[in-house]
Amino acid sequence: MTSHDVRDMLDLPDTATSRPVKKQKLAAPRPVLKGLAREVQNLSGDNPIAIVPEVSVFKKRRFASRKPAAKWELTPFKNSARTDDTLVLKHWRRKAELAPAPVGEDGHMEDAGVKPKPEIEDSTFAKYNVRVTVPDYTDEEYNSRLQNQDWTKDETTYLINLVQEYDLRWPIIWDRYEYKPPLPTMNGDAAEGAIMVPPKVRSMEDMKERYFKVAAMMMAIRKPPIKMNSAEFNLHEVMMNFNPAQEANRKKFAENAFHRTKEEAREEESLLLELKRILARSEKLNTERRELYALLEAPPSTGNIGAYTTSQGLQQLLQQLMTVDKSKKRKSIMGTEGISPATGPSNQNQPAQFERRESSVRESISGPSGSTNKKGAQNPTERRQLTEEEERMYGVSHHERLGTNGPAFRHERISKPLLSKSAVQQGKITSVLNELEIPTRLIMPTAEVGEAYDALLQSINVLLESRKLADKLAGELALARSVKAERERMAKPEQGEASNDAGGGGADSEIEREEREKSAAPSIRGGSVHKRSASVLSSVSDKSTKRQKK
Amino acid sequence: MASQTIASSMQPTDVYGGDEVSAIILDPGYSSVRAGFAGEDTPKSFVNSHYGVADGRSVFGDDAIHNPLAGLEIRNPMSKEGIVEDWDTATQLWEYAITSRLTSFKQSDPRTNGLNDDSKDIDIEMEGVDEGEKALEEHPLLMTETAWNTTKNRERSIEIAMESWGCPAFWLARNSVLAAFGAGKATALVVDVGASTTSVISIHDGLILKKSIQKSPLAGNWLSSQLRSLFSTTEPKVDLIPHYLISSKTPVDAGAPAQAVYRKYENNIPESFRALEEERVLTEFKESVVQVWTGPGRLGSANPAGTTNIDYVKAQPGRVFEFPDGANQMWGVDRMNVAEGMWDEKAALPVPGEPPVTKAQTIPEMVRASIGAVDMDLRAALLQNIVVTGGTSLVNGFTDRLHNELTAMYPGARIKIQAAGLTAERRFGSWIGGSILGSLGTFHQMWISRKEYEEFGANVVEKRCK
Repeated sequence: MTSHDVRDMLDLPDTATSRPVKKQKLAAPRPVLKGLAREVQNLSGDNPIAIVPEVSVFKKRRFASRKPAAKWELTPFKNSARTDDTLVLKHWRRKAELAPAPVGEDGHMEDAGVKPKPEIEDSTFAKYNVRVTVPDYTDEEYNSRLQNQDWTKDETTYLINLVQEYDLRWPIIWDRYEYKPPLPTMNGDAAEGAIMVPPKVRSMEDMKERYFKVAAMMMAIRKPPIKMNSAEFNLHEVMMNFNPAQEANRKKFAENAFHRTKEEAREEESLLLELKRILARSEKLNTERRELYALLEAPPSTGNIGAYTTSQGLQQLLQQLMTVDKSKKRKSIMGTEGISPATGPSNQNQPAQFERRESSVRESISGPSGSTNKKGAQNPTERRQLTEEEERMYGVSHHERLGTNGPAFRHERISKPLLSKSAVQQGKITSVLNELEIPTRLIMPTAEVGEAYDALLQSINVLLESRKLADKLAGELALARSVKAERERMAKPEQGEASNDAGGGGADSEIEREEREKSAAPSIRGGSVHKRSASVLSSVSDKSTKRQKK
Repeated sequence: MASQTIASSMQPTDVYGGDEVSAIILDPGYSSVRAGFAGEDTPKSFVNSHYGVADGRSVFGDDAIHNPLAGLEIRNPMSKEGIVEDWDTATQLWEYAITSRLTSFKQSDPRTNGLNDDSKDIDIEMEGVDEGEKALEEHPLLMTETAWNTTKNRERSIEIAMESWGCPAFWLARNSVLAAFGAGKATALVVDVGASTTSVISIHDGLILKKSIQKSPLAGNWLSSQLRSLFSTTEPKVDLIPHYLISSKTPVDAGAPAQAVYRKYENNIPESFRALEEERVLTEFKESVVQVWTGPGRLGSANPAGTTNIDYVKAQPGRVFEFPDGANQMWGVDRMNVAEGMWDEKAALPVPGEPPVTKAQTIPEMVRASIGAVDMDLRAALLQNIVVTGGTSLVNGFTDRLHNELTAMYPGARIKIQAAGLTAERRFGSWIGGSILGSLGTFHQMWISRKEYEEFGANVVEKRCK
């Protein structure tokens, strides 16, 4: 029975293609279906039977994808993190694929293949070997900087070795700390050693304090704090500021908290809850109170309501309100127009702010300038404020002098006090300077020289002021004296003879007085003295300036 | 440090930190010796520490020591404290543990070594090999020790490893540290309840805190002695007859006397053999019947209902245990009484010839003492990482009781107990930790190499293995 027959039975149109189909089948044989009768197969016609599992495909794929098994070999390796490099251990590693060296890439492959053979590979884990670095010191350094009443050098070294051995794990260092002082030697120290008390029981805080002190000190000696980077500096600060007493207190407190009984723990918990509740409630109360205050502070109506008690008055009030309303409406219309010019400047402002900020950024890039600090204060959110420590570390200094006028050249600043004075004053100052042999224009105006110069100018000012005062006083004195002389002359005719003696005595007393005045307020005559004192006055600053100049 | 180029054939080592060098982990204890390759999850070789001596010849392993033979004396090379006493035998025992299952023959090409063949005469081959060469020439050895091991013993173990076995590298690790590693902790309070000793030790960053070491004999063997004194005081008395003495038995009702046919041995079976076999029955009893009162409170203390906890337990159903001779009985409150002495020294049953249990020996007191001997800052961390290990800790209700006791002792602290759920992980806790440690790539820099041993002598172990 063929499909043709079945078609015939079912009155299906007999297709003319049945013959060629058969030929095709022969040309491309269908997969051999075992277990099915040929007749059953033929029933299906052109359509293959759906239930046939395609087992053979699996098999084929499996064999097709089969590769030679990966080769593993026992390769020796060593670990460079070890102190001795003789230990060679073996582990299994995939054999490098270069064993069956292809002929084409021979030269290249052989290089790679030959190299690892003689030298044993290093463990990939050697890089994880990290040790702490502990301070080391020489005898000299110890004696000069690290002496301590409580610690001998031997014990300090023992501590430091222990720290290194246990990688700064303090609980273990404390646990294993068993310092035995070295046995007394034969010489004179023996007596001292013999008396020595058995080793003290060191608390962890003691050890930490000693170690941190030594470490910080050595750190500072090796590298001055100014040159440290931020991490190093922080470490140094932390170690310097270690407070053993505080640490011990903290531990005591923690221990007390640790040994609470159940009741205490529960009580504390309930108290904490209570506190939380109180806080929440007080917050609520505060907001309510604030609202209440806001209500109370509303502007009270002070007007007299007596005017509105009559109907006429009410009418008036209504009209008033209406007019107010109208004007308000108009205002609101006006308002929308009025806003636009207001927004204008605000819009203009923003780019201005932008510019300023950008310029400040540029300034900060170009170099340290005081103005950045000022601007930073303006918008603190944008620029991180340096803490005091950081400022010290980075050497940031603040210049108040730049606060108002912005940056200026130093020589300008130096010459400013001179130029601001009148020509007469200038002349006087320059003459003083000439006398001190200081040029008006500084040769090397460094900051220090500038400061000294400033001080000098100030003292010159003081000097000139006092001279002015002295001149004035001297003038007054001369006037008074002339008045007196006039009076005496008037009195002369009355006491003709006695005048000579009195005049002589007066002259003497005058000289005496003058001498006294010289010291107090230098007169014109005491110019040389005054000059000397002026030079003494400025000598300190003078010296410093000269030193700086050199 | 040399820069490393990772070949494509290599595995990404920084993801998986292992680098296996076929190291062998040897974890000897009072009741058993565990040995196996590093990197595996259970020891391949598990050998009873007891060994038999007959005619001056020692036999090892469970296959050999349970035969009721004339003059088979059973001994143990370990002391009651879990450290080695008899070094010669201990060496043989360990060697047996290693060579019988791990390194019986030299590794060779699997096509020719006959491993895949069905061969019956491996034992003979093994012995031949043993005589010729040293057992561990290709394997670094990681051995465990107790925290209270003596310096002499430590030096002895490296001598054996280096001289007798020819190890290329050696390391000696504390078993409590390894138990902590096995639980995945570097900082932990390890409560190790073994056969001969119970210890409580604080560990910080993989190092023992020596001041915190606490140990007591209230462990598995002590529990057995409690059972023995319980059996001798119950009414009717329980006769502990091991399996090898029973020829046949007939079932009897609970509480009825046993009806069994006993086996008679003409030759003289030593007492130590009987003790070993009795111990096996007691182990079974401990595993299936003994329970720890889980708390809250002590077994004898009053509960909120106004009665004592004993009354409560009495109301609960008991457990039946059938002895080898067929005698069986319901065990009620007594099954809790025997373990109560671990927690409450007053509840311990008196054992003839043994000093009474002191308060400091109970587990809660040991924890208190251990915690009290470490720095304040560590205590909270330790209480959050309590690792419970050791076979006897598998007694029912142990961890619950420990938790209850500690929460009562430290009400303000957070207590967290890490106890492996799998029986094997609890029993082999320290071996597993050793397996982890020995397979770590970063550990290979720690090994004491042969050269270092030759250079510094046996004392190097004291310097290196802290």
